[in-house]
Amino acid sequence: MSGRGNLKFTLYGGDTEPLSSYNINHKMWQYRELIWNLTAVDLKNRYQNTSIGFLWSLLSPLLMALVLYIIFRHIFGREENFAINLLVGIMCWRFFAGGTTSSLRAIVGRAGLVTKVYIPRQILVLSNVLANIISSLLEFIVLLPILFVLLGHLPVTVFLFPLIHIIYFWFIYGAGLLLSALYVYFRDLNQIWQVLTQILFFCSPIVYPLSMIPASIMPYYLVNPVTLFIGMYRDVMVAGDLPSLYSIVVVIGFAFAAYLVGSVVFNKLQRRFAEEM
Amino acid sequence: MSAIIVDNISKKFRIPHEKKNTVFQHIVGLMKRQFDYEEFWALKDVSFEVNKGEALGIIGRNGSGKSTLLKILARVLYPDSGSVSLNGKVASFLQLGVGFQSELTARENVYIYSSILGLKRKQVDGIYDDIFDFAELKKFENMKLKNFSSGMNLRLAFSTAVYAIPDTLLMDEVLAVGDETFQKKCQDKMSQFQAEGKTIVFVSHSLTAVKELCQRTMLLNEGRIVTMGDTEKVIKDYLAMLQRGTPH
Repeated sequence: MSGRGNLKFTLYGGDTEPLSSYNINHKMWQYRELIWNLTAVDLKNRYQNTSIGFLWSLLSPLLMALVLYIIFRHIFGREENFAINLLVGIMCWRFFAGGTTSSLRAIVGRAGLVTKVYIPRQILVLSNVLANIISSLLEFIVLLPILFVLLGHLPVTVFLFPLIHIIYFWFIYGAGLLLSALYVYFRDLNQIWQVLTQILFFCSPIVYPLSMIPASIMPYYLVNPVTLFIGMYRDVMVAGDLPSLYSIVVVIGFAFAAYLVGSVVFNKLQRRFAEEM
Repeated sequence: MSAIIVDNISKKFRIPHEKKNTVFQHIVGLMKRQFDYEEFWALKDVSFEVNKGEALGIIGRNGSGKSTLLKILARVLYPDSGSVSLNGKVASFLQLGVGFQSELTARENVYIYSSILGLKRKQVDGIYDDIFDFAELKKFENMKLKNFSSGMNLRLAFSTAVYAIPDTLLMDEVLAVGDETFQKKCQDKMSQFQAEGKTIVFVSHSLTAVKELCQRTMLLNEGRIVTMGDTEKVIKDYLAMLQRGTPH
C-alpha cells in the first residue's frame, strides 16, 4: 500500500458504468493538473514553433480585419462603427472556428493518451478548448486599446464580456466534444467541417450588418448561435448596451444543448475509441 | 483482499469486411446495403480475481486475448458485458512515456507524465530528484526531449513511472526493451514492488520472466481461460498445448 490514502474502488464495464455528468466532471476535477499541463503544452506548441510566436496570432486577425475592411468599406463603410464591429466580429468568429476546428483532432491527434493509458478522455477536448480561450482572451485584450482609440471611450458594459465569453466557451466545448468524437469514426469530417464553417462565416453578420438581412428570413437567420454571440459582444463592447435578457437565455440554451448533445454522444462513442484508432 | 475482481467479461470486436471510416464510405455502404461485419470474440466469459500483493502472469499464443484483457483492466477498452472492479490506484504500462512531448524539456515532461499517471504537482516535487537519480539523467534535466536518445527516453519514462507508486501495476512486455543493465534494474524494481505488497499483472511471451516474477499464472486461448494456477504447472500445460498445436 502506498499509504497515501487514495484507495478507490472503481466499478465499471457493461451497464455498470455510471454516465451522469456529475460523475465525469468529478473525475475530470481529479485530473485538473493534467488538464492544465495539456493546455500549457498546447499553447507552447502553438507559440514556440513560430519565429515571432504569439505576435503572429495577433497579427493574423488584425490583417484579416484590414483586408475585409478594405474590400467591404465601399459597401458598408457608412454603417456606424463599421471597422470596430468588423474587428469584434472577427475575434468572436476566430474563437468559434479555431476552437471547433482544433477540437476535431483533439482525440485522434493524441492517440497515445487514448489507446495506452486511462484518463477521462473529455480532458483532451477540454484542454484544447481552454488553450483556445486563452488565445482568444489575449486577442480581446489587445482589442481593448484599439476599441478605445476608435470609439473615443470604453463602454462600461465591457465588464459583461467575461460572462459572455464563459457561455461561449461552454458552447464551443460542447461542439468540440461532439466533433472530436465523430471524427474518430468519420475521418473526412475535417473537410466537411471546413466547408460548413465557411458557409457559417457568411451566414453570420461579420462583414455585413445585421440590418441587411430581409425581415422575412430573419427568424431562420437567428437560428445561428454565432450570430447571437456576435450581437452580444457588439452590444457590450461597442454600443454600450446591456444584452437583452431574451438573448442571454437563448445563448445559455444553445450552450447547454451543445454541451448536452456533445457529452452524451462523446460518452457513447468513447467506449470504442481505442479500437477505432 | 482482492485487488482486482473480473466478473464474467466478454469483449467483441467488429471486423467489417470493408473498413469504412469516412462519411462518404458510410453513405455508399448504406446505398449498397453493406452492413456486414464479422464478429470476433476476443474474450468470452472471463472471470477471475487477483489478490492484493500477488503477481499474476498472463500467457497464451498470439491472438489469445492477453492484450485485450490487459487493456480492459487498464480501462482503455470497455467490455461488452460483465464488470471489472479495481481496488486502489492502478497504473498501466502498456507503453512507457505516453504523452511525452519532444519539444519540451525532460523536466517539463516528467511533470506532464506524472500528471497523466495521476500525481499532483506537489507529490512530483517530492520525488523529482529520485526520478532523475534513478534514470541517471540529472545532467540533462533541461534538455529538450527531441535531443534524447531512445535509451534516455526510456529510462526517464520508466523512472517516472516507478516513482508514481501505484497500488497495482499492469504491464505488457514493456520490460523487454532497453539494454541488459536497464533490464536488470527494472527486474530489481519489480521484485521490490512485490516485497512492498503491490499487485502486479504481467502479460508476456517470455516464460522465464513470468516464472521469475509471478506465483500464479493464467493461460488464455481463443479468449477463454484454459487454466489458472501455479505458474510452473500452467507453463507446463502451455508448452504441452503448443506441442499438440491444439487447445485442450
